[in-house]
Amino acid sequence: MNARFTPSRQEDLPLITGQGRFTADHHYPGTLHAFVIRSMHAHARLTSIDLAAVRAYPGVRWVVTAQELKALGAGNIPHPITAKGPGGEDQKIALMPLLAEGTVRFVGQPVAMVFADSALVAQDAAELAVMEYEVLDAVTDPETATQPSALQLHEQVPRNLSVHFSSGDAALVEAAFQKAAHTSQLRVVSQRLMGVPMEPRAVVARHDAATGVTTVHTPHQGVLGMRNFLAMAAGVSPESLCVDANDVGGSFGLRGGAYTEHGVLVLATRHLGCPVAWTGSRSEIFLSDWHGRALILNGDIALDAAGHILAIRFKDCVDAGAYNCMMSTFIGTRNLSITMGGVYQVPALYMESEVVYTNTTPVSAYRGAGRPDIAYAIERLVDFAAHQHGFDPIALRRQNFIEASAFPYKTANGTTIDTCLSGKLLDRALAMSDYAGFEQRRAQALTRGKYRGIGLSTFLEASGAGTAPKDQALGEFQADGCLHVYGVTGPSGQGHSTSFARIIETALGWPADRVRYEAGNAKHKLLGNGTGGSRSLYGAGSAIVAMCHQMLESLKPLAAQALGVSADEVHFDKGLWTGPQHSISTAQLIDALPQAAQSSLSVMGEATSGSTFPNGCHVAEVEIDPDTGVTELIHYFAVDDLGQVISPQLVRGQVHGGVVQGWGQAFCEQVVYDAQGQLLTGSFMDYAMPRAGCVPHLRNETYEVRTQLNLLGSKGVGESGCTGSLPALANAVMSALRPYGIDQMDMPFTAPKIWMALQARI
Amino acid sequence: MTRHGCCGHRLWVNLRFDHAGFLSAFPSPATSQRKGLGDFFERVSMYPFHYQKANSVAQASAALARSGESRLLSGGMTLIPSLKHRLIQVDELIDISGIPGLSDIRMQGDQLWIGAGATHQQVAQHAQVRAFSTGLADLAGLIGDPQVRARGTLGGSVANNDPAADYPAAVLGLAASIVTSHREIAADDFFKGMFATALAPDEVIEGLRFAHPLKSAYAKFRHPATGYAMAGVFVAQTDAGAWRVAVTGATDGVSRWPEAEAAAGQSPADLRFVHDGVLDDIHAPAAYRTHLVSLLYAQAVTRLS
Amino acid sequence: MRPISLTVNGHTHAVDVEDRTLLADLLRDQLHLTGTHVGCDTSQCGCCTVLMDGDAIKSCTVLAVQAEGAHITTIEGLAQGPDLHPIQAAFSQCHGLQCGFCTPGMIMATAGLLSHTPQPTEAQILEGLAGNLCRCTGYIHIVESVKLAAQTLQEKSA
Repeated sequence: MNARFTPSRQEDLPLITGQGRFTADHHYPGTLHAFVIRSMHAHARLTSIDLAAVRAYPGVRWVVTAQELKALGAGNIPHPITAKGPGGEDQKIALMPLLAEGTVRFVGQPVAMVFADSALVAQDAAELAVMEYEVLDAVTDPETATQPSALQLHEQVPRNLSVHFSSGDAALVEAAFQKAAHTSQLRVVSQRLMGVPMEPRAVVARHDAATGVTTVHTPHQGVLGMRNFLAMAAGVSPESLCVDANDVGGSFGLRGGAYTEHGVLVLATRHLGCPVAWTGSRSEIFLSDWHGRALILNGDIALDAAGHILAIRFKDCVDAGAYNCMMSTFIGTRNLSITMGGVYQVPALYMESEVVYTNTTPVSAYRGAGRPDIAYAIERLVDFAAHQHGFDPIALRRQNFIEASAFPYKTANGTTIDTCLSGKLLDRALAMSDYAGFEQRRAQALTRGKYRGIGLSTFLEASGAGTAPKDQALGEFQADGCLHVYGVTGPSGQGHSTSFARIIETALGWPADRVRYEAGNAKHKLLGNGTGGSRSLYGAGSAIVAMCHQMLESLKPLAAQALGVSADEVHFDKGLWTGPQHSISTAQLIDALPQAAQSSLSVMGEATSGSTFPNGCHVAEVEIDPDTGVTELIHYFAVDDLGQVISPQLVRGQVHGGVVQGWGQAFCEQVVYDAQGQLLTGSFMDYAMPRAGCVPHLRNETYEVRTQLNLLGSKGVGESGCTGSLPALANAVMSALRPYGIDQMDMPFTAPKIWMALQARI
Repeated sequence: MTRHGCCGHRLWVNLRFDHAGFLSAFPSPATSQRKGLGDFFERVSMYPFHYQKANSVAQASAALARSGESRLLSGGMTLIPSLKHRLIQVDELIDISGIPGLSDIRMQGDQLWIGAGATHQQVAQHAQVRAFSTGLADLAGLIGDPQVRARGTLGGSVANNDPAADYPAAVLGLAASIVTSHREIAADDFFKGMFATALAPDEVIEGLRFAHPLKSAYAKFRHPATGYAMAGVFVAQTDAGAWRVAVTGATDGVSRWPEAEAAAGQSPADLRFVHDGVLDDIHAPAAYRTHLVSLLYAQAVTRLS
Repeated sequence: MRPISLTVNGHTHAVDVEDRTLLADLLRDQLHLTGTHVGCDTSQCGCCTVLMDGDAIKSCTVLAVQAEGAHITTIEGLAQGPDLHPIQAAFSQCHGLQCGFCTPGMIMATAGLLSHTPQPTEAQILEGLAGNLCRCTGYIHIVESVKLAAQTLQEKSA
């Protein structure tokens, strides 16, 4: 390769030369290929299933249904986090079996799997399956799913209500509303979306009878977490599984746990004694990857005469889909409550949510997992209230920001925010966006026949608290001259290796290009959190900082020895060990050591890092063409407090990616089911995706307020782009349409929707 | 129902969930492999077929005549996805892309000849096409995306007659002649509704002959997901001074718009598109598509050259 | 099975394929060039983009038999010799990739664009990428990568 070329990220070289190793790139001799037979009905009893012709088809090696899986001890799709009702009631759970047991409850639900010599043969054979269904009515509207007239989907769950959750003080909030000078109410929908990581879900599993270990290649968000969920789904021990740290083509929250294909393939490779593989087609994945969002948020706000917020109240409807899978409960309970006051000082907060079932694909975490949604609802509500009651939307926000002197600030429903200097970020964003000059630009646009709008969001979100007790990182200086660092969190494009290498270079002075990060090598038995909740940088990064500190302790006497002075005469700064007369760099010091001495420097660092509170102010300026309803994004400005920034370029990439996913939700993405539960947006032909140019440019700055909550001082960036962009974009659209009598509209703000709304006002 | 091309994208997305609708649109013989078609998903490998390259139009036509389940393969941008989803099953795939001269673009006197095999990219970038009809050259450059334009062909698009395709608007708008292995068909007699044309089962399009327009223009509103025409309007004034306006995307098939033609290159404010087949779906209500047609007509008029 | 012959990254291959084998599958499964990715089944994501006789095309929508006699360039063959192609270098330099799954297709689409339009305007770049989806980057850095690549190639040819 070009000697002059230094890649921007360690990860880049294989990926730009076609040498990436994604799951479907793995080939083993003798692999059998799987095809999934899925339900075409949203709700039906499977009255008979005849697979004789499938089994007899030449080249078919195994056909499996729920019956065979039961005999093999398979589990269900995991649902790791439950919630309790207001009186401590247990949540009613409907776990999803790997393959349907008697009843199918969403279109695309796996019913059987065929293993054959090739994927083609498996598919050809599968066509010979004969299933008979007794079709039942489908429940598709989460808001009416709990009514007595709605069909009950699970016999153990009356009214299709999995859990009714609440947080805060209902009475205090009601009292505030009673005495409020102004109240406003706004219902917003965070519509059901598909995550669409570009790499289709795939699984390759290979069992080694000699060791008793099954190696699994699959996209994931951390091998240890995936291993545990795989074990649950397949009904095997985690120790008998090894999840490979292959390249992952995006995850966005959807790949934290096991799906049907994972569980079945682990069992299949053991049963068949050969490797097995499955790759989903995109249309199949539209049906069967967990969906995202699907929340209806009814918000109320109470203000006093001067515009101080007295209370915020939410009543939320959470569509879990057909079963409780992975994270939908977590999203609809904790994540809708912990930041429900936003960046505001609100004396009374109360929320309640109902997690309900419908005959649709199960919902789980997608970039932000409820936190962008609640920030969206709050910022829309604040803007709405401002306009309804004649307050300036900037002034109303500013006077309600949590005061700097109030930090650490404990919200009315128990979240402690360490710091959030909204006023400063707002000042910066207003300046960057020339907010003051907007009305002039609006007038000018009108002369061109365009409706211009400006919207902003002041937001915070709580990054992942982590489910592991701590994060650990192990560093070893190996014979290849590199510092090998082992951790748990698994990358799916974020550039973990690059970021961790930078942290080490800063802390230790060891060159970044001589650091190799490997996620999830089980032999080290490390504890830690997988990727999720934007915490990899500060979680694993803090453990790495701790590891570096311990290495420095060990290096000090060695440096003293190398410099021929005593330890207290040696001073370390910026990678250099300096004595009274000479100095030596960390790299020189370690390179000069014999291998045994280098090995003895191996150390594990650990740190416990909980949630952090990334926050920001985003401003969007749009122009709507009233002739077509098309919204053009003219400007987008983002000021984000992400704490200490390690890699500005990577941070920009994360903000861009999050903002464009927000743009997609705001303007074109939507999962649509018909009344029979048939998926109408089953491919890219109907599910519109953001393409190049939708957000033509984006100016973003970071405003670093280091957090004391972890060793690194960083906050999570991965999801904040979505959290800031949804409300900024929506408020900009409403700003453009409000003069024409439109004060409420739900996403996606498609051209036809905007045009029709304007027509209705004429 | 022609056996050229295939069923088209929108169709296979919507119809896959309407089993009965699918079968009625494609009355091909059910085979034992088709049994239980409604029971599973996501067939993305094709039923087996036999592929052959045709050396001449006559050979291709004869192959179509021989086998009841054969299809012509040109660019494949519509046919191959439909085959992948197992929405159609063919015995013989006859590749006509190698037939000598089939992608020629040349003047024939004062008329323009575009061979059936000419790709959208070739048409969009051809200097003679641009000089001949701005609307036609612009339209070809608006089809799909660059990768699609490198493969998709005029003949394939015209034979398929997808109601949201762009080319039928130009063909109808310019009153082209569709020259086939059997005869010449006037554009006004060619398009017969959604995915239907006047082509006989063994008829092969050789190319299209366009009469020179005095002016022409095309305006399109892209479907946000497919990139096809949510609506597209082609306006042309023929050499004799007559006006032709063709509308695609908004209804169940390309059609002329007589009221706009009567406006003779003007956009009167009260001009309304009235058609009882305007599409109404999750992407846009009929009222919006109807409005788009008027809007695009007015845009095309301002671009006439 | 049918024997075909095609040139991929400068090497001529004689292979046996089924008539229904896609070019993408031939490249990945038989020639083991797994850099070309399959990301969808409606020919819309562009992850499978390769150059065929100089044009960027979607290899998932071309039969292997249609590629008989063609010259194919995949991501693995873009760089000539030990140095990276300027497009590859630009994508890294401008952080035009995150997970990398769409990247080979983006790079090959860029190669097609720049061979036809060496000095594209921003609008031409957006049009050139219209057939490619990315979920990670938001495209802004990808557009910057294309601009840098165009500039580098111009300088090299000057």
